Formats: sequence, C-alpha cells, structure tokens
Amino acid sequence: MEPAPRHSPLEDAQGIAFGVAMAGLGMHLLTHMGFVTGQTAGIAILLTHLTGLPFPVVYFTVTLPFLAIAWRRLGVRFAVKTLVTTTALAGLVAVLPRWIELGRIEPVVAAVLIGLLFGIAAVATIRHGGSFGGLSVLWIEVQDRTGFRAGTAQLLSDAVIFGLAALIVPLETLLYSFLGAAVFSLFLAVNHRRDRYVAI
Amino acid sequence: MLRSDPEDQSAITTPVPDAPAHSLMEDAQGLAYGATMAAFGLVILMHLGLVTGQTAGLAVLISYATGWGFGPVFFAINLPFYILGYLRMGLAFTVKTFIAVALLSALSVWLPHQVSFAILNPFVGAVLFGFLSGSALLALFRHGASLGGVGIVALILQDRLGWRAGWVQLAFDGMLFAAAFAVIEARLVVISFLGALVVNLVIAVNHRRDRYVAT
Repeated sequence: MEPAPRHSPLEDAQGIAFGVAMAGLGMHLLTHMGFVTGQTAGIAILLTHLTGLPFPVVYFTVTLPFLAIAWRRLGVRFAVKTLVTTTALAGLVAVLPRWIELGRIEPVVAAVLIGLLFGIAAVATIRHGGSFGGLSVLWIEVQDRTGFRAGTAQLLSDAVIFGLAALIVPLETLLYSFLGAAVFSLFLAVNHRRDRYVAI
Repeated sequence: MLRSDPEDQSAITTPVPDAPAHSLMEDAQGLAYGATMAAFGLVILMHLGLVTGQTAGLAVLISYATGWGFGPVFFAINLPFYILGYLRMGLAFTVKTFIAVALLSALSVWLPHQVSFAILNPFVGAVLFGFLSGSALLALFRHGASLGGVGIVALILQDRLGWRAGWVQLAFDGMLFAAAFAVIEARLVVISFLGALVVNLVIAVNHRRDRYVAT
C-alpha cells in the first residue's frame, strides 16, 4: 500500500476556509431561526441563552478546554488547525450579521440547509486535518480510559443537549432543530470515509 | 471532469485501479446535495443580480434578458446536450446529469420563495455563491454527474479538433461575461467575476481522482 498523499498547507488552508465559510453561513441561518443543535456549538447556544453573552465569545471559550485534550491526544498539528478553525468561525459568526440579514425562511428548508452546510463544513474541515473543536475528542479520551464507546457517548451527550434545549425553545423549534441535526449526522455518516477520500 | 491534458495529469484524472464504487443511495444523496447547494447558490446569485459561467451562466443571462425563469430556461438549454453526453460519456453519466439538471431546475423555481435575504453584501454573496456551487459541482462530479451542456461540447471538440477543453470552456465563459456587460451593470459583472473565480478555484484544487477515489 502506497503512503497516503498529503495536502499542501495552501490546500489545507482553502479546505478549512471553505469549512469555516459554510459553517458560518449555517450558524447564521441557525441563529436567525432560533434553532438549537448538538455538539460543542449546541452547548454554546445553550450557554448563550442562559448568560446572554454573544454566541461567538461563548463558542470560542467552550472549545478551549477541548483544545487541550486534542493537543495531548492528536498532536500539535491538529490542535493548531482546530484553534485556527474555531477562531475563524467565531470571528465570521460575529461579523456575518453586518453583511447578511436574512428574511423570511421556511423552517423545514432552513433545517435541511443547516444540516447540509454543517455536514459539508465538517467533512471538508476533517479531511483537511482540522475540527470545530470539541466534545468528540473528549469522548475518544473517555473511550480509551474506560472502554465506554465514543459513538454512544456522543449520541448521549447530544440527547442531553437537546433535552436541556427543550426547556428553552418551543417544541416546534426543537423538532426543526432535530431535523437539521439528523440531516447533518446522515451526511457525515455517508460521506466521512477515509477509504474514499484518501489524502491527509 | 474536464482536464485538458491526459498525459500531464493522468494521476489526477484517472480513476485508481479497483476504485470502490458508490451505491445507488450514495449517488442519490450526492446528487441531492449537489442540486440543493447549487440551487441555494443560485438564489444568492440572482438575488444580487450577478452572472456566472458555463451552461447555468447562459441560462441566468437569458433569464435576466428575457424575464423568463431560470429553471425552465436551464432545463430547455440542456436538452440537446444529452445526446452528445450519451455518445461521449455513456448512459450512467447522461442519466445522472439529467436528474441533476431536472432537480436543479425544479429547486430553482421553488427555493427563492422559501429563502429570502433582507440585506446581502454583494462581495460576500459572490464568495458564498462560489463556495456553494463549487462544492455542489464537486459532489456531482464525484458521483458521476454534471450540470450539463457546455463541458460536454468542450470535450467533444477536444476529441475531434484537438482544441483543449479547458480553453474552450474559458472562451465560452469569456463570451458570456462580455455579453453580460450588455445586460447588467459593469460593477455587477466585476463582482460576478469574483464568484466565478471562487467556483473554479474550488474545482481546480479539489477535483482529484487520486484523492477522492470512489467512482
């Protein structure tokens, strides 16, 4: 088996820039609709509701502790790329309202678009060695120490996040949010395959 | 898709031996993603009154000039090309391209009523359009489809006359953008150029058979 082809730094930069732009657009849509989501961004949205602090600040802060775990587990390269990704996303989400103000959007359409945007953003960013910072690294660490499956932990943590969100947002919003999260997960499940996109 | 020099770029353009094949469902989700993101990109493009290249660009320009909807125009323009596509690229490619074009045509009629913008910075919109349609095309190519027309003709001209497909496409886009000056403001043509640049960069950097190996 030949060694996997490597991306150049410029190739990684465009991949991560693309991922950040798509995730930023998705977050902008999500915020506009008042939806919630899972994962690290989901925790940040809950904290935004509770504290009244701006989402970009909360999101960036929430990702910091996971960054330390990522560094230890996956190395400095991954940690730096993750830091670049989360910083850029926080920055983009902060400035995007100046450039884009959304109008009326059909909630089902918004949910599907959010799912696709988050999905493609995650696939591109992961393929280029970055990430949006977070929980999943913690669950991998937990799996290694305790044997508790990371996939199961991920699902459970999202269930907790959505459970808490149910206390904050109306049921209808929760259902649309869930649709978005389902599209996102399906997209990732089908398309995140190291055996098909082979470059690292 | 449309690399012009098989000798120099064979590693990039040739499917690797024993490449894994996508299942029907995987191709379906790839086509659905491609058509949806392309439609979302078009909502942004046409909201801003911008143009783009290739067959979709021709349809956008005709739509602006005549007031006809993009969807029907795009669908109609593509019809003659399916015969050429079948002869040059085979049945699977032609059927997938027809589905992608039909889906995009339908979505482009429906989506503008579902998603609206109160404010949209044209430069930001152009870049987002570029990312959205670049990744849409990339997904369609990786799943063995396209958005039709001009690219197929370019490949056939390359076969028959030896003209490089890449140059033929560039010449076509050049004519489209020149014609656009007659239809939309010069400032908007320049901003459109930014969007087209992003689309082409996304494809040029990322469309590589040696990295995304499934067919």
